[in-house]
Amino acid sequence: MDPLTVRLWAYRALYLGIVGLCIFFRVLPLDTRAGLIPGPDVILALTAAWVLRRPDFVPAVLIVLAALACDLIFQRPPGLWAMLMLLGTEFLRARQGLIRELPFFLEWVFVGGVVAAMITANQLLLALVMTPRPPIGLSALQGFLTVAVYPAVVAVSHLAFGLHKAAPGEVDALGHRL
Amino acid sequence: MFVARSNDSSQIYVRPIRRIIIGALLVLCFGTFMLWRIDSPRVERFRAALIDQVVPSFDWASAPVRKLSNMIEDFQSYNRIYDQNRELRRELQQMKAWKEAAVQLEQQNAKLLALNNVRLDPKLTSVSGVVIADSGSPFRQSVLLNVGRRDGIRDGWATMDGLGLVGRISGVGDSTSRVILLTDAASRIPVTIQPSGQQSLLVGDNNPAPLLEFLEDSDQVRPGDRVVSSGDGGVFPPGILVGQMTQGPDGRLRVRLSSDYERLEFLRVLRSHGTEVIRDIGGLIAPEGAAEALRAEVEARAAAEADADQDGDAEAEATDEASSSDAAGTAETSTETAQAGGR
Repeated sequence: MDPLTVRLWAYRALYLGIVGLCIFFRVLPLDTRAGLIPGPDVILALTAAWVLRRPDFVPAVLIVLAALACDLIFQRPPGLWAMLMLLGTEFLRARQGLIRELPFFLEWVFVGGVVAAMITANQLLLALVMTPRPPIGLSALQGFLTVAVYPAVVAVSHLAFGLHKAAPGEVDALGHRL
Repeated sequence: MFVARSNDSSQIYVRPIRRIIIGALLVLCFGTFMLWRIDSPRVERFRAALIDQVVPSFDWASAPVRKLSNMIEDFQSYNRIYDQNRELRRELQQMKAWKEAAVQLEQQNAKLLALNNVRLDPKLTSVSGVVIADSGSPFRQSVLLNVGRRDGIRDGWATMDGLGLVGRISGVGDSTSRVILLTDAASRIPVTIQPSGQQSLLVGDNNPAPLLEFLEDSDQVRPGDRVVSSGDGGVFPPGILVGQMTQGPDGRLRVRLSSDYERLEFLRVLRSHGTEVIRDIGGLIAPEGAAEALRAEVEARAAAEADADQDGDAEAEATDEASSSDAAGTAETSTETAQAGGR
C-alpha cells in the first residue's frame, strides 16, 4: 500500500469518526427540556468544509451513509436530510474549482447560501407531503448557528487535521491532478 | 503532458459512472423518505431495531461524560451555596410542619384503609429503566430507556419519574424503548383538572410547559390547580400527577410539569393492561341443577319459536304451547330453587 492511499482512507475513517462523535454527544441525555436553543449542525459544516478542501476525502457514498445514520438516530424523517446533504454537497463539489480561487469570506457566503437553501427545501418538502415540520424559527436559528461555526470548523480541520485546499499542481496516488 | 492526457481519458469513464452512483444514491434517499411517508410503522420498527443495536453500545462512554457534566454543574452550584443554605433552612422549617401533618394523615389513612379493607390494584406494577439517550434533535422530545420487549414493555404505557408523568412509550426495541415526552409535538394525553374535575387534553408543542386544549369551561379552573391523568381512552391509568396549571404569557392555559425534565435519569414504566370492558348483561345466578334446567328450558323455547316461524298456519297453537311449557318450566325451576335452598 502506498502512503497516499493509506492517507486517503485514514481521512475517510477520520470523517466517519468525527460524525460518530457528534452523534454521541447529541444523544447524551444531559438536558431533556423542550424549547432550548438548538445547537449548530456541526456535521453539515464539517462536510461542507471538507468537500470544498479535499473532495476525494468525503465521497458522496460516505456522506449519504453518515447522513442516513443521523436521520435514523435523530428521529428525523429518514432519507430526506440525507438527500439534501447529497444535493448540497454535490452542488459545492461541482463548484469546488471555482471556490478554491475565492477568498474565505466569499466561500463562507457561498456555504451560507447552500445551508439556507437546504433548510428551505427541507421545510418545503415536509410541508408538501404533509408531515409535521420543525418550527421555522428554530430551524432558521439552527442554520444560522451552523453557518456561524463554519469558520471554526474550517480552522480546526486546518490546524488539527492538516486539511487545506489542494495546492496547484498537487497530484493524487494515480497522478491525477486534484 | 502525459499526466494531463491520462487524466482526461480516465475522466471519460469516471464521469458517467459517478453520475450513475449519484443518481442511485438520490433514488435511495428519496425512496427511503417516500417509504417512510407511505408505510411509517414498518420503517419506524426498523429504526427502533437499529437504535436498539447502536445506542446501548455508547453506554460505556456516555456514563463518564455524564458524570463529568454533573460534576461541573455541581461545582457551579457551589457558588450559590450560601443562598441555597439559607433557602433550605427556611424550607426545612416549613417541611417540619408538613411532616407532622403527613404522619398524622398516614396514620389516619392506614386506619381508614383497614376499615374499608381496600386492596390496591395489583396490576399497577412498574418496571424501572435508566435513560440512556435522548432524541439528539432539538425538535423531537423523546428519550431512550434501557428496558424493552424482553422486559415486557409495550407501546402506550405511561412513564413517570419519582413525582409525575413524563410521557408514554412509543416504539419498543428488544432491549430499549423510546419514551415520547409530554413536551413533544406529537404528544396528546387526556387529563383531569382538580378540584373542578374538568376534562381536557394535554398537547405538547415543543414548549417546556405543554398546552391544555378542549377545556369544557375555563371559568371553573384557575392557575395552581392540580392536573392528573384522566384515564380516558383506556390506555393510561387514571390519577397520575402531571403538574400544576399555569397561564402562559400569551394567556393560554399551560401545565407546569411536576417531573424534573432537566435531569431525567431513572424512569418508571407503569404496566397497564387496559381497562376491562363489560360486554354481556349480568347472568342469572342460580344453583347448578337449576341453571341446567333453565338452559334446557331456554333451548326448548327457542326451538318452539323456530317452529312457529316455520309454519305460520299453526301460529296460535304454537304460541299456546310455548306459553304453557313456559309456565311449567318456571314452576319447575322455582321448586328446584326452593329445594336447593332447603338443602
